[in-house]
Amino acid sequence: MTQHHPDSHSLMEFSAGNLSDPHALCIRLHLDQCPHCRSRVDTLDSLGAIMLEDQPGAGVADDAFDRLLSRIDSEPAEPEPKHRAGDPLHRLLGEDLNALPWKRQLADVSVLDISHLFPGQPEKVVLQKLAAGGKAPAHTHRGLETTIVLQGAFTDHKGVFNQWDFVVLDEHDEHRPIALEGDDCITLSVLSAPLKLTGTFTRLLNPFIR
Amino acid sequence: MMTSTRAITATTGDRNVSTPSAGSNRAEGRKDPWSQLLEKVGKHQDREAYRSLFEHFAPQIKYYALANGLASQAEELVQEVFVSIWRRSCLYDWRKAAASTWIFTIARNQRIDMLRKMQRSRAEMTVETEDLWQIPGDDENEPVTSLHRLMSERRIRDSLKHLPEEQITVIAKVYMENKSHQVVADELNIPLGTVKSRVRLALNKLKVILQDQNA
Repeated sequence: MTQHHPDSHSLMEFSAGNLSDPHALCIRLHLDQCPHCRSRVDTLDSLGAIMLEDQPGAGVADDAFDRLLSRIDSEPAEPEPKHRAGDPLHRLLGEDLNALPWKRQLADVSVLDISHLFPGQPEKVVLQKLAAGGKAPAHTHRGLETTIVLQGAFTDHKGVFNQWDFVVLDEHDEHRPIALEGDDCITLSVLSAPLKLTGTFTRLLNPFIR
Repeated sequence: MMTSTRAITATTGDRNVSTPSAGSNRAEGRKDPWSQLLEKVGKHQDREAYRSLFEHFAPQIKYYALANGLASQAEELVQEVFVSIWRRSCLYDWRKAAASTWIFTIARNQRIDMLRKMQRSRAEMTVETEDLWQIPGDDENEPVTSLHRLMSERRIRDSLKHLPEEQITVIAKVYMENKSHQVVADELNIPLGTVKSRVRLALNKLKVILQDQNA
């Protein structure tokens, strides 16, 4: 059971469908593992449905229902599969997070920029790995940084962050994360940094060392 | 804003659909008519039930598309949503979500999917929309919480009537026009903090916030 949850604003933006792809992924990964937040999103979805009911509505084309029926009759009636195999993260990154082409930046710190998996999105999306028991140097954050723990756990002055815990940090948060013993700590971070830099190569923004 | 008039009124009428016989528990007896219709579609491919759902929800979905600026794709969104409803109806479980909520999440996902496909080529779609935006109630392991959900829906409906206009406006912009809190703040020319506090006050009154540590 996770201890650190997205706030109600983020859950509402998720329920309303207003998040960018990488932010939605972070929330979705958390929801998959957190019945508490899932129940809150269910309630927020009810709110969305009730808001929609309260709107005036707009008339549809006269032939809309007939077109719908002919489409249903002409397409295979197979129900959509309930679940596709594997979870979204595995489909995106493969089965073994440890086997990714990590780039080591410091003795304990490796990173992997996966922004290219989210084309057209303004955010930077970065995986970070802090070796089991390893320490990252103290650092602050540039812009807003949303992080979810995918494997292992880390601790800082605010507490212990376990797998599927959710944390949002900004430029005022200075911390010095230490990975717990056992597993390497792997996190997924979305940086809503004001990265308007042009040029083909921007410095990899590493949330652990800045 | 909170008007109940609709361009097309549901012809079935909320009360024409009979309650299922021998309701096995109290929640069963309170199943709303739209959820009953959706179950009929799921279990028996009942086209009359499907038509009734269409007449009720299609105008809502078209409104939703228009409010989102999808003017030329509004009819298409209605079609996509209803094809999806037809195909998925066998998975619908009234205990987990009201038909209206279930249909809202499908409309949301289809809108996102349509926008994503408009913005990039197929080759660029490395992540499927469904991988990002789940359909709640798909989870087989979810405990059955029908009474809890019926109560929370009633509470939301009742409380919404008493919310101040400024809070309703913010929530409507977030849900219907799909604007982020920041964009809503810019449009209303108020600070982001004010938008957030209006949302928080509203959610508190709607009791959507339960043991929220982080908000």
